Amino acid sequence: MNSNYMILLPVLLPVIAGLLIPVIKPLNNRNARNYYVIGIIALTGIFTVFVASLGDIHLSLWKMTDSLEIYFKVDGMGRLFAVLTAAMWLMSAIFSKEYMKHEHDESRYFAFFVSTLGVLVGLCFSGNLITMYVFYEFMTLLTLPLVLHELTKGSIAAGVKYLFYSMTGAFLGLGGFFFLSQYADTLTFTEGGVLNMTKVAGHEGLLLAVVFFMILGFGSKAGMLPLHGWLPTAHPVAPAPASAVLSGNITKMGVLAIIRVVYYIVGADFIRGTWVQYAWMGVALATVFMGSMLAYKEQILKKRLAYSTVSQVSYVLFGLSLLNVTGMTGALLHVVFHSVVKNALFLTAGAIIYKTGKTKVSELTGIGKEMPVMMWCFTLVSVTLVGIPPTSAFISKWYLGLGSLETGISVFSWLGPVVLLVSALLTAGYLITISIKGFFPGADYDYSSLTKQEPKAVMVVPVVILTVVAVVCGMFPNSLISFMSSLAGTIL
Amino acid sequence: MNLYVLLIPILLPLIGGAVLPLFHFTERKHRQFYIGTVVLLNTIITFLLLCMRPEGSIVILNMAGRLEVALHVDGLGTVFAAIVAGLWPFATLYAFEYMKHEGKETKFFSFYTMTYGITMGIAFAANLMTLYMFYEMLTLITLPLVMHAMDKKSVRAGRKYVFYSIGGAAFAFIGFIFILIFGNMDFVYGGSLNMDLIGKREELLRLMYVFAVLGFGVKAAIFPFHGWLPSASVAPTPVTALLHAVAVVKAGAFAIIRITYYSFGTDFLYGTWAQQVILIFAMVTIVYGSSRAVKEQHIKKRLAYSTISNLSYIIFGAALMTPAGLIGSLTHMVFHAVMKITLFFCVGAIMYKTHREYVSEITGFGKKMPVIMACFTISSLAVIGIPPLAGFISKWNLASAAAENGTVLSIIGIGCLLLSALLTAIYLMTIVVRAYFPSRDFNMEKIADVEDPNWLMKLPILVLSIAVIGFGIYAVPLMNFFAKIAAGLI
Repeated sequence: MNSNYMILLPVLLPVIAGLLIPVIKPLNNRNARNYYVIGIIALTGIFTVFVASLGDIHLSLWKMTDSLEIYFKVDGMGRLFAVLTAAMWLMSAIFSKEYMKHEHDESRYFAFFVSTLGVLVGLCFSGNLITMYVFYEFMTLLTLPLVLHELTKGSIAAGVKYLFYSMTGAFLGLGGFFFLSQYADTLTFTEGGVLNMTKVAGHEGLLLAVVFFMILGFGSKAGMLPLHGWLPTAHPVAPAPASAVLSGNITKMGVLAIIRVVYYIVGADFIRGTWVQYAWMGVALATVFMGSMLAYKEQILKKRLAYSTVSQVSYVLFGLSLLNVTGMTGALLHVVFHSVVKNALFLTAGAIIYKTGKTKVSELTGIGKEMPVMMWCFTLVSVTLVGIPPTSAFISKWYLGLGSLETGISVFSWLGPVVLLVSALLTAGYLITISIKGFFPGADYDYSSLTKQEPKAVMVVPVVILTVVAVVCGMFPNSLISFMSSLAGTIL
Repeated sequence: MNLYVLLIPILLPLIGGAVLPLFHFTERKHRQFYIGTVVLLNTIITFLLLCMRPEGSIVILNMAGRLEVALHVDGLGTVFAAIVAGLWPFATLYAFEYMKHEGKETKFFSFYTMTYGITMGIAFAANLMTLYMFYEMLTLITLPLVMHAMDKKSVRAGRKYVFYSIGGAAFAFIGFIFILIFGNMDFVYGGSLNMDLIGKREELLRLMYVFAVLGFGVKAAIFPFHGWLPSASVAPTPVTALLHAVAVVKAGAFAIIRITYYSFGTDFLYGTWAQQVILIFAMVTIVYGSSRAVKEQHIKKRLAYSTISNLSYIIFGAALMTPAGLIGSLTHMVFHAVMKITLFFCVGAIMYKTHREYVSEITGFGKKMPVIMACFTISSLAVIGIPPLAGFISKWNLASAAAENGTVLSIIGIGCLLLSALLTAIYLMTIVVRAYFPSRDFNMEKIADVEDPNWLMKLPILVLSIAVIGFGIYAVPLMNFFAKIAAGLI
């Protein structure tokens, strides 16, 4: 058998295995199901790493029509996102094992949770726009049940909102495909873009508008203005482990889609120095600021974290909009760091809800005394996300700032770093305050009612691992940086 | 081969249906066997004919001078005939079960089967005269089906249907006369107008084209002539599913494609105001239909509005007047037929088994009617245009054709298609979400009586759902065939 077919393994395995969960009788048993789920996800992770290590392989699977081909390709960008996704999924799955005990319909949850992983890996390894779009749509459909899992009126409404925002975004993206297919020789992802400049000649204005709408469309999943509205509604209502991957990973798929469109189809040169670049930078910066601001004001913990995602993912998008190697390096680093940190934060929030039922920030006074390990992790990753050196997000933000200065665009070159700084301050404001109150509840705190609430190891361990990764990445970032910058170098 | 064989698929169901009341079947089974045989036989004969595709055309009747009734099998006719012949047996099978509740089955199946013959006549018509004749007959023969229940509502719907259709046909007749004078009645790819005769009357002729399209557009439910279609959803579901999503309404779209590409010709129309007017009508209808569907709470009516919108996709593609546009148009004609009939069948099954008709009443049905709701979901996703299902291919073809045109109108058209896709997602996914995810305080006792229907209903739905997936995944041969039609080869 052709070794290229191996690409299908990490895609199909979780999809099939996931959808089988409600069907297979023995999996009605909670323990059996948990081991099955973790086993499948771990196996998928191994396969993903294996496929990623096979080198630049590609697979032309099927032609729907002559112009619509299902085509897979493993390249640097796909590797990065696929491995990251699979790793985060495993952490979240381990955490789910305990957390989902207090939810209902576990088998439905796990069925969609597991199969979503396959779709995401497929999205990462997609080799052309059509294939990516197929997985993109299925990502929305399969994550919908995760969002509305609780089946309260509020969560169903949130799910529907999520669905329609995502579809709006996807259709905006799809609209671009029709035009791109006219002006490009192929829709296969190629470093530097595939536009045929002789065909484009005379239609630049139209095409620029198209690209801008595609960025906005796919930006919907990444929580970018103006289609961000679903994110703060949908992420908090999902069960915590689902919120973690929704915020940490699904949003990154919007980022990936934008990378694919801008750097692999259109080409960075086409939009460099045009209004599209400036508008994109403006929108991204506005989102960074708005997200932080709203997070600062928000009192419900999970919602605060969701707003934080809105802000943080737009750091990434801002880095991408710079269209230079430094900015791109910063963006890719931030993809990894934010993914790790946000997963840890949401899992901690989940552990708090699971053990104490507290959802509001104001109720968390003294929480550090109740679950010290969890809150230590929470504090460490918070510090990381704020970007205090020598933690990881400091490095990504440093690159983002440098990249911004490098562009030499009059206003944005200094506005970018300023907004990033202000947002970092706000990040400290909305995250560190929780830790401070948690560990230093003040003199009027009633120590007599204090009970240790530290959750079980299955919940603590994933969070600890994520924290260690976040911290270690910050201290020894060199190999990661060189990987990212060489990746950025290939497409710019 | 003797071309008189072309009469068989027309006459067999016509006669077979007409004589049904004479038999006085005492048992339902016997009647079903008889009707089933006629329909199945006709489908087999039709497909054999389509495979052999005999050359040339044959004059059946010469009424007066140039008014001839003639039949032929060409590429475009093949597409329409294949849709109709492919879906009729499924619809009949479905109707066997469904009509148990509706009564007057003999009358129903008699007219239902006769309609099959008339529709084949439209498909095989070799000139405008023949098309027009069968087109009028189609209106009359389907009237009893619309009015089947014979209560006040359905009689009123029937009256509305007849008035709209005949009025539309009258407009089409104007175009028909002008073609008779200034061109050739026979269908020729690229148009049959005689430019010498026209001289300076080009604009007048374009106006006549617009009249004719809008006239035929009544059956294809172009806004503002769509009013009859939602009202006609009072008819039994096999009628709404097959006739009001496929045979009758697509006959309108088919006639529009015929006069655009085969009578007036795209050279004469491309880039003129006439094309722009039709494009605008189609675009308005696309958005209007979807918007009304979102508002509508009666499921069957919601689907009727969805049909209105989707029919204009077909017309939009045809009105682009490029080969790519025609390909897109034909793709959607075929795929929409399959997707929408499945949706209607599902809704019909829900009405038949549970007597629930409104969106708000189907909460929690996902668990109770697993097969029906799964098929409904698949077809819904297809209609929205989620790859790799059928609807994605047709939307892709339509929108790429529009992008290729590159005019301002066609770019706005793409916007309309995308907006409509979003609205489609809203009006269909709300149903799906409601069915699968009832809120936790929902009392499942309320729908304890709900269950999947028997196999007579499930089988057609399942087969068609598989077709929805299959067409999407492997559309290459079909696209090649359409490309040949659009190149004028067959």
